[in-house]
Order: sequence, then C-alpha cells, then structure tokens
Amino acid sequence: MKKKKWLLLSLVCVLMLALAACGGSDSKDKSKGEDTKKEKVDTSKLPFEAKNDGDSIEGGTLKVGLVTDSPFQGIFNWELYEDGNDKDILDYASNSIFDTKEDFLIADTGLGQLKVDEDANKATVTIKKDVKWSDGKPFTIDDVIYPYYIIADKDYTGVRYDADFQNIVGAKEYHDGKAKEISGIKKVDDYTMEISFKKVSPAIYSGGDGLWGYAAPKHQLKDIKIKDLIKSDAVRKNPVTVGAFVIDNIVKGESVKFKANPNYFKGKPKLDSVVVEVVPSSSSAAAIKAGKYDVVKNYPANDYSAIKDASNTTILGRPELAYSYVGFKLGKYDTKEGVSVMNDTAKMNNVNLRKAVAYAMDIEQVSDVYYEGLRTRANSLIPPVFSSFYDDSLEGYKYDPKQAKKLLEEAGYKDTNNDGYVEDPDGKEFSIKLAAMSGSDKDEKIIQFYIQNWKDVGLKVELSTGRLIEFNSFYDKVQADDKDIDMFMAAWGTGTNPSPVGLYGKEAQFNFSRFVSDDLTKLLSDIDSKEAMDSEYRGKAFRAWQEYMSEQATTIPMYFRTEIIPVNKRVKNYNIDYLNETELQDLELVADEPVK
Amino acid sequence: MWKTIARRFLIMIPQLFVLSIFIFILAQFMPGDPFSGLITPQTDPNRIEELRELAGLNDPVYVQYWNWIVNMFQGDFGDSYTFKVSVASLIGDRGLNTLWLSLLSVFLVYLIAIPLGVIAGRYQNSLKDKTIVLYSFISYAIPTFVLGLIFVYVFGYKLQWFPTSGTKDVEEKAGTLGYYWSIIYHLLLPAITYAVLGTTAIIQYLRSEIIDAQLQDYVKTARSKGIPMKKVYSRHIFRNSLLPIAAFLGFTITGLLGGSFFIETIFGYPGMGKLFIDSIMARDYSVITTLIMLYGFLTLLGSLLSDIILSIVDPRIRIE
Repeated sequence: MKKKKWLLLSLVCVLMLALAACGGSDSKDKSKGEDTKKEKVDTSKLPFEAKNDGDSIEGGTLKVGLVTDSPFQGIFNWELYEDGNDKDILDYASNSIFDTKEDFLIADTGLGQLKVDEDANKATVTIKKDVKWSDGKPFTIDDVIYPYYIIADKDYTGVRYDADFQNIVGAKEYHDGKAKEISGIKKVDDYTMEISFKKVSPAIYSGGDGLWGYAAPKHQLKDIKIKDLIKSDAVRKNPVTVGAFVIDNIVKGESVKFKANPNYFKGKPKLDSVVVEVVPSSSSAAAIKAGKYDVVKNYPANDYSAIKDASNTTILGRPELAYSYVGFKLGKYDTKEGVSVMNDTAKMNNVNLRKAVAYAMDIEQVSDVYYEGLRTRANSLIPPVFSSFYDDSLEGYKYDPKQAKKLLEEAGYKDTNNDGYVEDPDGKEFSIKLAAMSGSDKDEKIIQFYIQNWKDVGLKVELSTGRLIEFNSFYDKVQADDKDIDMFMAAWGTGTNPSPVGLYGKEAQFNFSRFVSDDLTKLLSDIDSKEAMDSEYRGKAFRAWQEYMSEQATTIPMYFRTEIIPVNKRVKNYNIDYLNETELQDLELVADEPVK
Repeated sequence: MWKTIARRFLIMIPQLFVLSIFIFILAQFMPGDPFSGLITPQTDPNRIEELRELAGLNDPVYVQYWNWIVNMFQGDFGDSYTFKVSVASLIGDRGLNTLWLSLLSVFLVYLIAIPLGVIAGRYQNSLKDKTIVLYSFISYAIPTFVLGLIFVYVFGYKLQWFPTSGTKDVEEKAGTLGYYWSIIYHLLLPAITYAVLGTTAIIQYLRSEIIDAQLQDYVKTARSKGIPMKKVYSRHIFRNSLLPIAAFLGFTITGLLGGSFFIETIFGYPGMGKLFIDSIMARDYSVITTLIMLYGFLTLLGSLLSDIILSIVDPRIRIE
C-alpha cells in the first residue's frame, strides 16, 4: 500500500514539473526583469531590411501571420473598412492612388498625381493612362470620382463623412439631398479631375482637407445601392482591385488568399499568391519559431524576448506613428459652445507642479526594464519619423527628482505635517488622482512604479477609481471631464497627418486636457495656414508649437514606440523603411517552405 | 405529458420577457457604446455623434427597447455594429463552427469518460481506479488555457500533427473533399483539448453510481439467480448508473451552442464564446442582447429536455 502511495505521489510530482517547465521560461524572464536590469535592446540597431541570399524560386506563396485575438471583420473596401486588421489585409490589394515621400507627404510617383492651386482653393488629380483593374476593365478617372459619391451618400454610415470631407464644395448639399451632384467635383477628361475646396491648407499634402486617396471600381459597384454596399459580395468576397494582389478566397474572420494580379500597373508580382492568416497572440511566438509564417504583422512588442533568439527569423524594427502621454485636466468641455473652457482653480493649474510631476517620472528606466528598449522616452508631441516637423532640440522631462523637489518647493508645496507627502500651498493635504488604462499585468506594475517615483519626491498620487480602468470606461470618463481625474495616461496614433489641431485646438473635443490659450490658438492656426504651404515655414511652425507645449507642460510626452516585424529567412528581400519599402511586386522567396 | 410540455413553453414567454428587460437595461449601463472605440485623431467627434444619432442610441431607453422587441418578433435582430452584417447571419456562421466543435467534443467526452467511469466503479480501489481518479482530478484542476497552450505548442508547433488555428484551410475550395477533411482536421485538436478536460463530472458520477448500485438488492437478486457478473454489469448496473448523466443530457445538447472562450481564443477558432466576449468588449449591443436571449432560451429548453429524457429512461419518473 505504501509503495503505491509513493508511486502516486511521484507521478504527481512529475506532472507538476512538466507543467512548471512548460510555463517556466516565461516566469524566469519576468523575475529577472524585476531584480536586475534586463539587457537593453538598442532599438536603433533593429534593421529596416532583411536580405537573404539564395536563388529565388519560381512564384511561391508568401505566408503572412496577422496577430490578433479576434476574427477580422472582413470589410474589404477602402471607403468602408474601420478595423486595423482589415486594413492590414487590404494593403495587399491596395487601391491607393498616391505614393508618399518624406513626412508621408504625397509624392508624384504613384498612380495619380496631385496639383494644388492654393489661390483658387482647387486641386487637380491626374491618373496614369492604360492601367487596368484586376478584372481587365480600364481604370479611368470615374473610379477616382466614385469614392467621393460613396462617402457623401446619405446612406453612408462610416466615419469618413466628416468635417474634413465637408470641406469639399457641395459635399454637404449632396449628402443632404439638396443637390444631384457634388458641385465641387468635376471630371475634366477620362484621366483628370478637379476638386474645389472651401479652403486649402498644407494638410492636403498629407491627404487632409477632404482629399480622398483611394480609387473604387465603379464598374463593379455602381449598381449596388450604398446602403447595401457593406454587405455585398463586391466588398465581402470578390473586390476588384488595381493593387498587386487580388482576393481569391476568404475564410470569414480567419484567412484570406490573394493571387497575383496579372494586370498590375507596376508589373505582375513575382509571387503566385499571398495567404494572410489570423494567429492568436498566445501562440504567435511559437508560430514564428516553428516557421509557420514568412512575415508576421502586429506582433506584440511586449513579447519581443520570446523570439529574439529565433535563428530562422530576422526581426525588423521601425518607429510607430504614435506617442504616449500624461495629460493634466485643466478645465471642461462646454458642449453647448463647442469649446474647451479652462478652470483657474483646477488642482493641476500650476505649471511648476506639472513640471515636478513630469521630472519625478523615471520613464527611461520603465522603457528599458518593462519594454526592453522597444519604447523610448519621448521628448515631444510629434514622433521623430516626421523629420521636418519634429523638434529634436527639445530635452523634454528627463528623470530629475531633485529638480522635481525644487519645483514643488518653489510652487509652495511643502511637507508641513511630516507624513512624507507635501501639502498644498494652503497647508491642506494634497493628493493627485490619476486615471490609467488596464491592459496587461505589466501596466499594473508600471503604474505602481510611477506612483513610487512620485512618492519619492513627496507627491501623493492615487488611482482615480482605486484601480486601472477598462478602455471604454477610461475614455468615457476622460472625455466627460470626470471630477475624479486630475491627470491621465493615454496614447495617440498620429496617422500620416501629424497636424495637432484636432487634438489640441480650442474646439477639439479630443483636447482632453482642456488647455486653451491665445498663444496656443495662434501657434496651431499657423501650422495649417496658407504661409505654411512653404515647407520650411511649416516646419518652424510645428517646432514653435512643440516648444510652447513643452514649456506649458499640460501634456507630457512619455514614450515613442518601435514596431517590430519578424521576417522568416526564406524571404529574399524585405524592407520596412517608410521611405524605401519593398514593393509587393518585387517580393521573392528563396525556398519552398519557410525556414524552421 | 404533452400538456406539461406545452405549459412549460408558455411559461417561457414571461421568463424571456423579464430577461429581455434586464439585459437591455444592463447593456445600457455599460460605460461606452459601440462608437466609443472609434476615437482617433483622424475621426471627427461630430461625425461619431451623428452616427450615434443615426443608430438611435440617443433615443430614450424605452423607445430603443420597443424598437428592438418589435423587430425581434419580426425575426430581425439588427446588424452587428462591429461586423456590419446582420446578427442572425453572424450568429449563424459562428454558431455552426461552435456546433461542429461541440458535437465532436461531447462525443469524445463520452467516448473517454464512460469506459473510464465504468472501469473505475467496477474495480473500486484497484490501481486502475486510482489512476483514473487521479486523472480526473488533474484534468479538473488544469485550467483550460494551460492545457490548450501545451497542446498547441506540442502537437501543433513541435510535432506539427495538427493545424494550429482557424476552422479550415483557405487553399481548399468549398465543396471539395479536401475542404470537408480540412474542417474535421481543424476540429480535432481543440475538441481533444476540450474532451480531456471535460470528463471529470461524468467519470465521478458514473463511478459512484456503479459503486452504489453494486450494493443494491436487485444486484444481489440477480447474482443469487446465478447471472454472471459480467451480465449483471452490462444489463443491470450500467443502465441504472447512467441516470444522472441522462439528467444532464438536455443541458449538454442545448449547451452545444455556448462555445468556450478559452479554447476559441487559443486555437483562433471563431465561435460563439469568443463572439460573446468580444461583443461585450466592443459594446456591440445588438449581438450581446441577441446572444443572451438565445442562451436564456436554450437554458430553459435544456431543463425541459432533461426532464423529458429523464422520464424516458427512468420509468419511476413521469411528467404529469
């Protein structure tokens, strides 16, 4: 009997060991991260390009893994899609008209060319001749005009019928049913169109002001009513494209197979096909190591360490068009007037106090320890990729607890009752309420780290609801200027148009800190002014705004992020540099299966 | 019996009605709405407000509720805010995926659990019994996602015996033999994971029922008549021991559509469990409310089915 018990016990032990071993590597890594400083990744050394020698094979299928835990929505139309996953898929069948150059400004090399007449508030779009859709039908200017009619239609339910779009003369009248046509859009000939705007700003070169950057196959869509479009096969199953690849087969929410578009205007792609497949985030690292995919998109930067030693993969990195920030609540949004109104008695309405909060945060250490260097301390509210707008001379708020203490003292915040925390200038107990979003378990640790940072300089910071807040509630509260929020941590993706008016302007609802001033209004309007059509002037205007924001310290930049893209060694050439991306028709493979 | 069944169906109407009011109001209490996830610097807040207005989200709650109920009686469950397709076709797609997965899982569960339960009960306290009990405890204690990840890692990526995500291969054209095989092939690993973990209750019930039954008078009678033990087990004990499992069967059948969030997430399998959680996260009201109504109806139906099945297998129970 005794023997049997031992047998059972040892079996249990073996099983436990086996289980522990499976999850082991992960937990070991974590404990290391807490005790000692993790080896920092020098993200500047993550290459833009993967090059692999070998004879390229004939054709072949590029396998793309798309990391997401939800099925994709499957709206394959540029005017209608909403979700980033759909866009990542759609990029293989892109109907984009314009190429971009530095700072994501429209270049002359694409399918279409843009000419802007600033004085007349007009733009002319000319397209290449003799281009064909994937089904062989000719590509004409009607296909460039049709998207405007989709978006302006009264039955269009997407987000793109916005203030920018209504900048097109006659768009609103058409939408409201007062006009049969959009008066501001004129077909000049089969390859040329003219658009009239109410105003033209430099943002038009970033695809703003209402200019639309994609074509739609009019011959396929014209007989479908706009309200039925989103459910139609032309959007869900077999969209026609001018892009490099065309959709061949779809498994709803899971995978899409593309085949090469023989009519592609830059030449038929060398690959036969591309398969994009959804990979759950829990197994994306294992999938990469097992050689399931050639390219993996949306790979979570948090899991960098899980693949950094994979011998079959090159990890490419490039800056993301985004920044994280700490914002301070300084007022309220007046919904009736549609403007932000500052509150002079707001708790954070003291520039030295705000600066002290910023100086107290050791953002660099968090970037190194928790993000392995894949995030870096941001110094400005414009990501560095926008090289002619970004202000690299700004120092930002580098960790300096002494400076923080000094600023607090100067502002009159002193610890009068010796409890380790400062009291406000009136001698009352002082604490700041912070709102932050919940996500991974990492987020909790990072917030606790910062709270300790603030404690070190004598600032008492508490979480607004006592804990981290779920995404939807977070924005609900921040947008409603909840009284329990003095400061908040959030992030913005800038897209390719970095103009800050929509995020910091007086009328902007997304100006969450509610900071307004005459200087700010002037600086912002300068960025999108007529004079700023001159790129040097615009760069200066951008920098002046960044310096002003840094001085006012109402929104403190926290991190810039690095996007990582693992590429299997079977891909011959893969470059993700925004200025020098490998074009889809040039992709080649050097083996029949991905390297394991 | 038919009268009782008809009455039970009639009672369902007020029950579902109360449920509908609850879920509709509770859904409204959730912070955010289907459009709050659209916040980016590129979206125009005024346009988002317009879309809210168009979707009727600014109407008073009772107006929204009334519209919803009226449409539902006409078989229109609305469109999903996230997927922009009708909720019925969305649930149709996902429900079918889940149905296949659940059918195979339940089949495997019974295939594993019934023999193990019978052996454990018949050879009580033997090494066989103890091993089986140990297995059932361990499988009960392992969280689904842990075993799921281990299976995906070992059988999916290391040994590459099974596909690791999705419901079918995009290279197979619908209607071909390869297409159907691909569907079954994709089902196997998640179904096995589910089955390995889902056996505990059945094994334990069966085991204890068999142990109890061995001491019953009718077993003694049968033995004293000289019937061989093997026959006593197969004819007398086995049927009686299955009663509690039969009592579950109704819930098992209607539960087939519930889906499992963890299995679906780990295996990238678009099913109902994932749809339910995702729709809550995205505040996709029309999907949330329809799913809860569906689950509510299925639960009520399951309890009715269980009663009916029990009355068929157990002659002592009669539905009056």
